[in-house]
Amino acid sequence: MAQVETIPVRAARYSEGVLPAESSGPQAALGREALVHADSLHSLARYLTGNAADAEDLVQETYARALRGADQFAPGTNLRAWLFRILRNTFVSAYRRRRNSPIVGGLDTVTPSIHASSEDAWLRGDAELDQLRGLVAGEIEAALMALGEEARMVILLDLEGLTEVEVAHVVGCAVGTVKSRLSRARAALRQRLRDYAT
Amino acid sequence: MDCSDAQLHLLDYQRGRLAADLRGEIRAHLEGCPACRDEELAERELTTLLDRRPRYPASADLKRRLAAEWASAPAAPPRASWRRWATSLAPALATAAVFLIATSLYYGQQRAADEVAGLVGEAVNDHLRVLSGRRPLEVESGAIHQVKPWFQGRLDFAPVVPFAGDEAFPLQGGAIEYFLDRQAAVFVYKRRLHTASLFVFRAEGLPWPDRGLEPLGSVPAYRTTARGFHVVLWRAGELGYALVSDVEASELRELASRIAAG
Repeated sequence: MAQVETIPVRAARYSEGVLPAESSGPQAALGREALVHADSLHSLARYLTGNAADAEDLVQETYARALRGADQFAPGTNLRAWLFRILRNTFVSAYRRRRNSPIVGGLDTVTPSIHASSEDAWLRGDAELDQLRGLVAGEIEAALMALGEEARMVILLDLEGLTEVEVAHVVGCAVGTVKSRLSRARAALRQRLRDYAT
Repeated sequence: MDCSDAQLHLLDYQRGRLAADLRGEIRAHLEGCPACRDEELAERELTTLLDRRPRYPASADLKRRLAAEWASAPAAPPRASWRRWATSLAPALATAAVFLIATSLYYGQQRAADEVAGLVGEAVNDHLRVLSGRRPLEVESGAIHQVKPWFQGRLDFAPVVPFAGDEAFPLQGGAIEYFLDRQAAVFVYKRRLHTASLFVFRAEGLPWPDRGLEPLGSVPAYRTTARGFHVVLWRAGELGYALVSDVEASELRELASRIAAG
């Protein structure tokens, strides 16, 4: 995997013990709601950056940008998707030079077939199913990290429960592109997880 | 429908995002196509596997820093539309004093409205997750005496829902969801082809509407509409209740009455 650059935003010093619950106003209310999603954002950041320090910085910068643009958020719309979009854009701008450097090929190197052949069938009976179910979390993470960044992004956003329309809004592409990326990324994951299981 | 059509929609099919007619076409195709059935099983297994991926929640220290940053930031300026309105309404009176008074009144009302909007928005979002299948029922049963015990040991409170469902509003089952920062018991009722989600959660520490309330049995309730869904909020004891559906408002009020009355 390409060397991960440090996001050029370091944690500033903040006074502790001042929680939004103690403050008021629309911005504070938005802040409280936004903080509910900190775990999901941090988990995505960790999978994108590949390390804990950069993930923290990415999340912190995401919230800083959200705070600066709080008046642009339309109440009643999907706050979570809005935050994911800011995180994605922050990630892309900070990591632009090292984008599209997946470990194993790009998305277009994986072409899922309509029906897997009998030799390549992902599930060959209960024995293989049991092996797959025996995969440990670390192997699942390794398979995810082997995807390209955009593929990893759509897979993780989908797993976070975003619809394809919401994912398209987050990553800034057409819904059809999301569907295609998702399909190819899942095919790549199936191949890799089968390799781990056998 | 051929295999490529069916597989194009498999994920949406598994997540309950398809219209009824397309869902029926895919189900019919799967019944007659062993290869696509295998594919559907494989995709389902992959999703189950991926749901076991390691999660990396934000550290408590990071959350403290984020909270402090939002708390200490200066208030955002009013929205552009508000500025335009204020300017055109009273150009002759646009002194600093008047503006400050108007702004403080605006924020005073907005604060309560925004907090209630947050509750309502969360309820609708959670309901959408139920509808989309992203939060599938974890216990499917029409019997309340099977659903309620299922929550034991899974929640840090005992959800009080005396209404067991009936012919008009049959109970479908239950699940556990997050409502804002806390766990909620989810009870799903049906009304013809419509779904109604009831979220029961600890109400402590949550902002709660204190205007526009109307009686619901022996408790005051707040009714509103957001993004096409009707929402009813009420409290009973330490528990908060949020009921969401796209059924007629009168029908949802009837269901809320049965739940609240027990």
